[in-house]
Amino acid sequence: MPAAALSASTAAWRPGRDWAALALGLSVALVTIVFLLYPLANAMLLAFVKNGEAPAWASLTLANFARFFTAASYKRALWNSIYSGVAATLLATALALPMAYAVARIEIPFRGLISAMTVVPLISPPFIGAYAWIILLGRNGTITQFVHEWTGWTLPTIYGPPGVILALALSYFPYVFLIVQGALAAADPHIEEAARMAGAGRARILRTITLPLVFPAAAASMLIVFIKAIGDFGVPSILGGEFQVLPTLIYYQIHGYFNLNAASAIAAVNVLLTLLAMLALSWVNRKRNFVTVGGTSRAATRLASPGARAFGNLYCWLVIFIAILPQLVIALASFAARWPGTMLPESYTLDHYRAVWSQLTSPIVNSLILAGVATAVCIVFGTVTAYASARGRLRARWALDLTIMLPFVLPGLVVGVAYLTAFNSGPLVLTGTAIILVLAYFTRRVAFVFRSVAAAIGQIDPKLEDASKICGAGWGTTMRRVLVPLAAPAILAGAVLVFSTLIGEISATVLLYSAKWKTISIAIYELVLGDQLAQASAIGTITTVLTLLLVLAASRIAGKNMADLFR
Amino acid sequence: MPNAALSVRNLTKQFAVGPASVTAVDRVTFDVRGGEFFTMLGPSGCGKTTTLRMVAGLEKATSGEITVDGRDFMAVPPQRRNIGMVFQSYALFPHLTIFENVAYGLRLRGIDAAEIRRRVGATLGLLQLEPYATRLPAGLSGGQQQRVSLARALVYEPTMLLLDEPLANLDAKLRVMMREEIRALQRRLGITTLYVTHDQEEATAVSDRLAVFDRGRLIQLGTPEEIYTRPQTLFVADFIGRANFLPVRLAVGGTPSAGVTLRNGARLAPERQVRLDAAEAATLTSGDDGTVMIRPEHLALSTAVGDVPCRVERIQLLGGLIRYTVQSAASPADIMVETTRALPGIAEGAGAHLRIPAADAVLYHR
Repeated sequence: MPAAALSASTAAWRPGRDWAALALGLSVALVTIVFLLYPLANAMLLAFVKNGEAPAWASLTLANFARFFTAASYKRALWNSIYSGVAATLLATALALPMAYAVARIEIPFRGLISAMTVVPLISPPFIGAYAWIILLGRNGTITQFVHEWTGWTLPTIYGPPGVILALALSYFPYVFLIVQGALAAADPHIEEAARMAGAGRARILRTITLPLVFPAAAASMLIVFIKAIGDFGVPSILGGEFQVLPTLIYYQIHGYFNLNAASAIAAVNVLLTLLAMLALSWVNRKRNFVTVGGTSRAATRLASPGARAFGNLYCWLVIFIAILPQLVIALASFAARWPGTMLPESYTLDHYRAVWSQLTSPIVNSLILAGVATAVCIVFGTVTAYASARGRLRARWALDLTIMLPFVLPGLVVGVAYLTAFNSGPLVLTGTAIILVLAYFTRRVAFVFRSVAAAIGQIDPKLEDASKICGAGWGTTMRRVLVPLAAPAILAGAVLVFSTLIGEISATVLLYSAKWKTISIAIYELVLGDQLAQASAIGTITTVLTLLLVLAASRIAGKNMADLFR
Repeated sequence: MPNAALSVRNLTKQFAVGPASVTAVDRVTFDVRGGEFFTMLGPSGCGKTTTLRMVAGLEKATSGEITVDGRDFMAVPPQRRNIGMVFQSYALFPHLTIFENVAYGLRLRGIDAAEIRRRVGATLGLLQLEPYATRLPAGLSGGQQQRVSLARALVYEPTMLLLDEPLANLDAKLRVMMREEIRALQRRLGITTLYVTHDQEEATAVSDRLAVFDRGRLIQLGTPEEIYTRPQTLFVADFIGRANFLPVRLAVGGTPSAGVTLRNGARLAPERQVRLDAAEAATLTSGDDGTVMIRPEHLALSTAVGDVPCRVERIQLLGGLIRYTVQSAASPADIMVETTRALPGIAEGAGAHLRIPAADAVLYHR
């Protein structure tokens, strides 16, 4: 290389750009405090204040909590939340475990497709599943009528605990399936082979080796299902009837009495339950370390006996059928002109879609705008915080992780209450605006981008950034030219999860929406309550198809199975 | 200038580990002359890579000075130091083509497109990489990725080249080939080079001078020849090349040069008392313990009479040399003797005599 060119290269230095890191860091801290920490802390404070009084040291009281000991409705709601949460978790686990074993350890075809199909219940809002069960098992439901005609029996009512537990279990069982199946697939096959060489039979290996190995993963997934189930609002509000749980109780405190203090207290109890489950989850996750992930990429040998294969095929497709039955029923109902409890509709029509088109365009547009803007905010904020968490020399990394993960696991109703209390009065009034919805969406979903990108950055050699700096790039340039392009698939995957799950978001929306900013989920909710199931089905089908297509596209771009996006 | 002089003074790096702190680099001082190939050598965890990263600016020093051509570098961020660096993992940008990887540093310097094409082309040519310009790094072999990494570091004509274990990920044959290539390139460009390795053979083969590190300290600095023949500590003697260590007793207090007694009673007068400065020598008393280091190739083994009678345990052919492993009363450990030709009359299980040339023996106190 000619030495003459050197002077030209050194003369063209650009100034350093590390102020970009500083500015971003500061704005992240600001957003975290104002929109994540403050609302939650404020709601927790209001829980200790009597309704109608200003918060002050003297007015702190436990009166709002006393109702959990005095009022029958409070006692029952607390108990019902725990009871339906535990029951739904157990049912989901019972459904998912054999399926996880079958996909990981039995030689059946379409294993990737089976995994991908389990994603459907996760991306369609749980309450869509709930009203499908009304169509099937309600008083004039298809199955109810069918059973009555052929056997004379009257099925027990779907409203109340059985329906709530069934719908919750079918909505959230994929978490158990995906996590346990992943653990089974990752376990070192040599361990099972060693047991085999030692003389153990299949059944014995399952009992003494395989199940103990995946127990921590199973326990972790069960806690996730429990956290999701006790935070769900849509299912109990549609199928619960008289069966009140904590989120519906919060809803009625606000819609019935606008008693923010009482709602905050209920929310605090709901938070407490969630935190206990989170604590248990982090304990289980620490224990998960002993699970050996083999250095070998060889897959475990799969059972290939005809009996095992018959069971595997039958079981997996049966569960898949039951799990996506609600979506199928809704799709059918959306085209049904008349469906008077017969097996299939008597005649078909496109009227419901026309009705949706003429009357419900504004909720669809609203949802797209709100979810779109919230997703954009999540991308920026989630990526930056993920970088800070994965690379930064933060002493308080756990605090950052917790701040991002907490609103993610908290029930939507709790986030709704927190935002109502924080931004209904005071320096920043946002209630009734689109901004409050966007912010609530952002807080509840930023963890999707955060987790996805943090995992991706963990896979990127930090030396790449060193190399970029040595070549002369500042922090901002290194981000733009090296890190973001490499993390792009993960950013996209996270963003699509955010967007697709926001289209049907109801539990925070139901407290924060205004007449001007009514969303798809609220429109469906009102239609279901108004018994206009056919129109609700049409808009529900549109939502599900839209989100499914998005998730499919994202998984293609990220080069993964759809199921991997949710693991 | 591509042959800048580097000066490192009392460079120290402490890492906080919980409430305590660990000193990774402890008051390291050395100078690298313009155009010199300077190697930092030591076992893993000895502080050599941390020192290199401080010179690069990727690690902030706790204290000390780094100057390049007299200019203070401590406050200069890495992107403004105009240094080229090659990483052990190569750290090629996996989303950019080979051309774009090499062009990266030039683009940041705002050089126009035609000039970038010309200089990237020239550098790729220098390293025989032209056919791969449009490929992505994943499509290249380890050796080729290594070359791309070099090209990326050299293309913007840095003042200095830093290499962090650049050959560690290559197989044995390629490693030897690449080290010769790197050395030849360095000579041709005359670029000041700071090299880090844990491989003593590699270090002695390519370096003008080398610095041996142990537990954060620079133990010895010198040409490969100096360090091999006059290792200043037992650690350096053991780390560089192969060595025999014989326990000895000092014969006369205060004047170690008067001689030492081997375990079998033989007397020896080693000429080099490397570690014994005057003050330490004065404290020596007759009967103190010491260690004599002698290289296997300096020992003579024969059937004739010598200093130490021994028994031949094993004879191994190791490529170009023959290693005799012998046992004797002079040392509890086996002694290695290496020759290039087979010794007549020496067989496994037979008796023999060792001769220890005092001129090649190095004495250490304890």
